[in-house]
Amino acid sequence: MTALLTGLLACYLLGGLLPLCTTRPHLQNLFAHGCAAAAGVVGIVLGVAGLLSTTPLALSLASNIPHLTFAIRLDPLAAFFVLTISLVGLAASIYASGYVDEFSGRVSVGLLGSLLNGFLLSMTLVVLADNGFFFLILWEVMSLLSYALVVTEHEKPGVREAGLFYLIMTHVGTAFIILTFLIFFQDTGSFSFEAFRHPDQQLPEGLRSIAFFTALIGFGAKTGIVPLHVWLPYAHPAAPSHISALMSGVMIKTAIYGLIRVYFDFMGGEFPWWWGFTLLVAGTVSALLGVMYALMEHDLKSLLACHSVENIGIILLGMGAGMIFHTYGLHELAALGLLAGLYHTINHAAFKALLFLGAGALQFATHTRHIEEYGGLLRRMPWTGAFFLIGAVSIAALPPTNGFVSEWLVFQSLFLSFQLPSLFLKLMLPIAAAMLALTGALALACVAKAFGMSFLAQPRSAHARHATEVPRSMLVGMGFLAGLCTVLGLAPMLVVPLLDRVTAPLTGVAISSQVLALDGWVVAPVTVEFSSISTPVLAMVLVGAGALGLLMARLCGKGLRARYYKTWGCGLNLTPRMEYTATGFAQPIKQVFEAIYQPTVKLEQEFLEQSKYFIKHQRFESHIEPVFEKYLYRPVVTLLLATADRLRIIQAGSLHLYLTYIFVTLVLLLLWAG
Amino acid sequence: MPASTHLGSQLVDLCSVLLLLCCFAIVAQRRLSACVDLFALQSAFLAATAALVAFLTGHKHIYFAAALTIVIKVIVLPRILRKVIERLNVSRELGMNINIPAGLLICGALVIIAFFITQPIIPLGYLLTRDSLAIALAIILIGFFTMIARQKAITQMVGFLVMENGVFLGATAAAYGMPLIVELGVFFDVLVAGLIVGIYTHRLQDTFDSVDTSTLTVLKE
Repeated sequence: MTALLTGLLACYLLGGLLPLCTTRPHLQNLFAHGCAAAAGVVGIVLGVAGLLSTTPLALSLASNIPHLTFAIRLDPLAAFFVLTISLVGLAASIYASGYVDEFSGRVSVGLLGSLLNGFLLSMTLVVLADNGFFFLILWEVMSLLSYALVVTEHEKPGVREAGLFYLIMTHVGTAFIILTFLIFFQDTGSFSFEAFRHPDQQLPEGLRSIAFFTALIGFGAKTGIVPLHVWLPYAHPAAPSHISALMSGVMIKTAIYGLIRVYFDFMGGEFPWWWGFTLLVAGTVSALLGVMYALMEHDLKSLLACHSVENIGIILLGMGAGMIFHTYGLHELAALGLLAGLYHTINHAAFKALLFLGAGALQFATHTRHIEEYGGLLRRMPWTGAFFLIGAVSIAALPPTNGFVSEWLVFQSLFLSFQLPSLFLKLMLPIAAAMLALTGALALACVAKAFGMSFLAQPRSAHARHATEVPRSMLVGMGFLAGLCTVLGLAPMLVVPLLDRVTAPLTGVAISSQVLALDGWVVAPVTVEFSSISTPVLAMVLVGAGALGLLMARLCGKGLRARYYKTWGCGLNLTPRMEYTATGFAQPIKQVFEAIYQPTVKLEQEFLEQSKYFIKHQRFESHIEPVFEKYLYRPVVTLLLATADRLRIIQAGSLHLYLTYIFVTLVLLLLWAG
Repeated sequence: MPASTHLGSQLVDLCSVLLLLCCFAIVAQRRLSACVDLFALQSAFLAATAALVAFLTGHKHIYFAAALTIVIKVIVLPRILRKVIERLNVSRELGMNINIPAGLLICGALVIIAFFITQPIIPLGYLLTRDSLAIALAIILIGFFTMIARQKAITQMVGFLVMENGVFLGATAAAYGMPLIVELGVFFDVLVAGLIVGIYTHRLQDTFDSVDTSTLTVLKE
């Protein structure tokens, strides 16, 4: 495994350096994405090997800096995340080799490719790091590289603002992570994760709770827990699409890794019930609000970014349920909840990356991200359409896809709350499940909008009319992820035993044999008697039903003749203006949840003088209130600016004044020291 | 025999005091060209001090540093500064942030502070030159003060160079000079600083029709 790890690092390093050594774009492209893809393949092997091996691989290199050792540890949890990162990294780098043509002439392909390799490397090392100091360095490198990638197209309006917003949020998050580690450091006197895991003395209860919250805020800012999610809909769409896929599919998952590492590994076993409950509430709110805001987005990539908030919420629901069960000693259910969360983690990585790559393909073909300007693309881009559909069905958690399996497991772990002794939690977990059901329904509406308005009916703009299918490398990248989604959905018997190896050391019990009944054909939440599903059988039933329908039509409709004709439009010619728009599609939901959206609608009409039945000119505007930005972030920013304004008095711009500041400080320090 | 009563030690002290006197003269001088001359004189005293220390201790590299001081600070830099003054046609410092009598009083206070601060350190030393440390600190502080008190860019440069002289004297006093490579680096830095200020004052003149750095406040947004 050491050889694999070395190979992985070498591939990424080569991929980071080689593209900068040449000036010919196609060589840069080949080096950068070839190396990243090779590293992806090695990473997949390493991840699976790490999951299967019985003893974790640990390497370390001492340094001169106090408390810093370059320690790496590949335990099952880290291996799982390495696997996830490598899978998406492989797809994204294959895709990117065709996609970067979009940027040719505007952005250096070599630089973009080099940054991509660096970004993948830093993410891989973040989950491998076994020293707090080393982890923080890598975390910062990851954040800064992703910032650099977000502002790739810095000449476009809004991109730099989005980048700055991201940079500020991620640094606030990092500050809280540092606080978390400092609390552990104060207790153990070392930054080594091994010391965090086995402290000499247990932290006092108050400090542990503070560490719980600092970790939640710190990692939550990266992963996009409501209300720390506000940067996602700006930053993720601003980046090039393969980077968005990595950020949304994988980077925010490193924060999930951080949360599991801190809660289950460092503080393992001992937490009060309200920790899990806090996570559960955060998850429910994130899931529901994420999907609600996604529904109102008509920029395809912003819509997908909002969906990330939703899916992170679902992952947190699984984790939170697992933590609650853990508190009450129901270890099998705890393992189930955590396993459901992790399953959804890799599922979300697969389908969200797929959807972002699909959105990138649409942008590549039409040069716009606005859903209202798409339409009729399925005919023009059949492969992209098919892959996007697989991703869309998965994110909407329709059976028998991968999203369905993991969301079903989350549901089951929430329903099993009747085994809990506390009446309050017995009541609360099913409510969370109900909210999750609402989330699922809204998600379905949202992807119906996204897919239907983009791919069906007639093109709504010249861009869409002239779209053509994207290059093969991009299709291969998307096809790989579509295949991955299918495998993850239809073959839980392959996935669950691997995930079980991650959760078993954290919760103390292995549940793989209980989750998989009948040789793995049926998935059950620990007890088969409670409920069970089988996605392969479901898939067979669905395919069989379709085949049966065709067969019936063939058999019974023998005398009938098929005629092909235009859609009937009441005698008028059909035009794109008659189509359902994305705004119209989302309107009923906007009305129902008016209290949350606080929409403002403005309609200006100008009539002919002769009659008010004839409109000469009209203008329609509709906004929803960004509640969190207005009521939570705006006051903070205003306060900061006001304070800065006051402090400007000492910043007079006079050279002599600055010299005086330095001089007075110097003399005072000298006097104080003397 | 205690170090302070050694003849060599007393000679070093004498040279250091001459350096300090030059500082006061610079603070009291309005004419720019005279300021530059006084700086050259101070540098010459510094070179003399360094050579004296080299002679007394037998550290050969200090001779080298003394020679560099003469070349750069007594000859090259004053020439650059005089050229700048000629070209810009400014001879006198008219407006000052702090007038000369008050400035001299403050400088006196700074010398007292410097001696007060170094008082606990000096008895710990065993070098011939240890008493110069207080004077070196005083020179640094006065140089800094000159940069604050004067408005013309050229006198600020002189203040900066005086500070640098103080640092050099301090290094000689506390440790018989820095390693040669460091000294070479410092001399190079000073030379570059001189060139930059030459160009900077020129640009300042072009932009504001004055070399008064107070006018820089209009750059504030």
